Amino acid sequence: MSKLLNWVDARFPLSEFVKQDLTGYPTPRNLSYWWNFGFLAGFVLVLQVVSGLFLAMHYKPDASLAFESIEHIMREVNYGWLIRYIHSTGASAFFAVIFIHMARTLYYGSYRAPRELMWWTGQGLLLLLMATAFFGYLLPWGQMSYWGAQVITNLFRATPFFGDEIVIWLRGGFSIGDATLTRFFVLHYFFPFLIIGLVLIHLVALHTVKSSNPSGINLAAKDNIPFHPYFTAKDLYGLGVFLIVFCFFVFFSPEFFIEADNNIPANPLKTPAHIVPEWYFLPFYAILRSIPDLLGGVVAMGLSVVIFAAMPFLDRSHIPGGARYRPVYRILFYIFVLDFAVLTYVGAVPPSGSLVVIGQVATFIYFALFALLPFISKAEEKWLCKRGLPAEVEELLKSKSSPDKFNCPL
Amino acid sequence: MNQKTMTFLLFGSFLFLTANSRASSDVSLAEVDFDHSVENIKSGAQVAMDVCRLCHEFKYIKYRNLLEIGFNKDEVDVLRGDMPLNTSILSTTKPEIASKLFGMMPPDLSLMAKARRGGARYIYTLLTSYSMDAEEHVDNKLFPGIKMPDPFAYAIRTDDVRQKELDQRIENVSVFLQWTSDPKAKERRRTGYYVIAYLIVLTFLFYLLKRKVWRTLK
Repeated sequence: MSKLLNWVDARFPLSEFVKQDLTGYPTPRNLSYWWNFGFLAGFVLVLQVVSGLFLAMHYKPDASLAFESIEHIMREVNYGWLIRYIHSTGASAFFAVIFIHMARTLYYGSYRAPRELMWWTGQGLLLLLMATAFFGYLLPWGQMSYWGAQVITNLFRATPFFGDEIVIWLRGGFSIGDATLTRFFVLHYFFPFLIIGLVLIHLVALHTVKSSNPSGINLAAKDNIPFHPYFTAKDLYGLGVFLIVFCFFVFFSPEFFIEADNNIPANPLKTPAHIVPEWYFLPFYAILRSIPDLLGGVVAMGLSVVIFAAMPFLDRSHIPGGARYRPVYRILFYIFVLDFAVLTYVGAVPPSGSLVVIGQVATFIYFALFALLPFISKAEEKWLCKRGLPAEVEELLKSKSSPDKFNCPL
Repeated sequence: MNQKTMTFLLFGSFLFLTANSRASSDVSLAEVDFDHSVENIKSGAQVAMDVCRLCHEFKYIKYRNLLEIGFNKDEVDVLRGDMPLNTSILSTTKPEIASKLFGMMPPDLSLMAKARRGGARYIYTLLTSYSMDAEEHVDNKLFPGIKMPDPFAYAIRTDDVRQKELDQRIENVSVFLQWTSDPKAKERRRTGYYVIAYLIVLTFLFYLLKRKVWRTLK
């Protein structure tokens, strides 16, 4: 066995890779459970790819057969119901895990130097994930699938000059039809390849800059511990907790994330009374609806998703540490999470009276937080410097071995 | 307020708002404590075969599936006539005639419970919401202007005994339609108990493992 390994090692850095990037990979010892979500996102990705592969063996991407083939999977295929509910619940789990992963990054300031590329590849992954989920939602060919795709592809009408042509080009016809279903199936199958590729880049970047940690300050080498066995054990425990919640939905409430209307076959002649996207699109959908103008709404919605990428520029404070040592930033973070929740709610219910106003205010707050961040973060830096940094930060920075240096500019 | 409480409150409010946004759009449906026993499903199936099947199809249920809810081979043979066991249950009235009669194709019933918020409760409420006004005009309170004529003659029920009997029949039909929409529900829940129990034990072991591993750390 060791002879074989030597043979491989002479030709490929296998042992070196395993040691440097898997078992011996240096990890900050103070990571909290919020750092489990990156691993969980990777796990859900594998779960989706594998369950999706088996679904694709029985699914028929044909407008006259798609709906029936899903019922065939649910009723006739051995454990088809399990595979399908894992996949449909998995989509929601993916977004839940990613949203928490992003919230952790925002809270602890993990997007700051030197981890900007991690944040931007993550932003790319979010966009790919959203696209994949959107393509996948058409495949069951239910009423909500059909009309959701109709509404979203219709947004491209806002494109200047070529609006109508682009919509027809995307759909492969004047409305959603068989051509759309086939191409969405192909893209739904193809996009995960892009996701996997970008995940690898995300991981290479991670292994260059290493994990951030709750203190927000890069720790001295002695405070890093090998990934195995410490974080393999911790990730397994986190995975167990995640799976309990996940399986609860799969086995006991699998239709929780599926709109009742999607159990009615797509009918191009009958618009549902109330078209809602999946829950993970609701905040962005609420922003779209809050702007009365179509082009304005589309731009605002797009901006609300990609604006995260600007965080490394918008946050101008040099105070080390995340929200933990930055009281003003912390308040902004909590306002943002609450605002996100309000937008989710507004996106889910039919727009009426006061809710329209609430949605508009929440949209305004959403963008105002990002717009004001450069000024607030700078002012906060000055204020904290005048007041003196928290004792823990001073101590961490003073410890000779910490690679981070920071001096108040005052 | 410390950080943990804050996080808890925020994610809690997020869940609450999301869950509420679904609940708030539910119409008020009858509160029924359904008994999903196989006997009830079977009685419901018998009513459905006698009444609903006149106009509606049960596209995703095949005659052989009736064997799973307590029908015996002979009973199924009577229902299917010369249709093979492995065919979907279709309506006894030709679809063209039914759609001419009602102005639309009567919808497939096998997925109906899943296709309406509230499932069996929706179906129960719908079937018990027929009533007659002073001009002897029958309409449905849950679905005004519904094209389906009162299938159980609920609007013209005469006395309490008759009403009780009808309520029971409608309850059984609702339970049956819940089954046709999700025939694997029982198997799924049974498997679920084992899976969750296994996961709880496994997670506890992982927790012990994590603690043991981390204790070696100075």
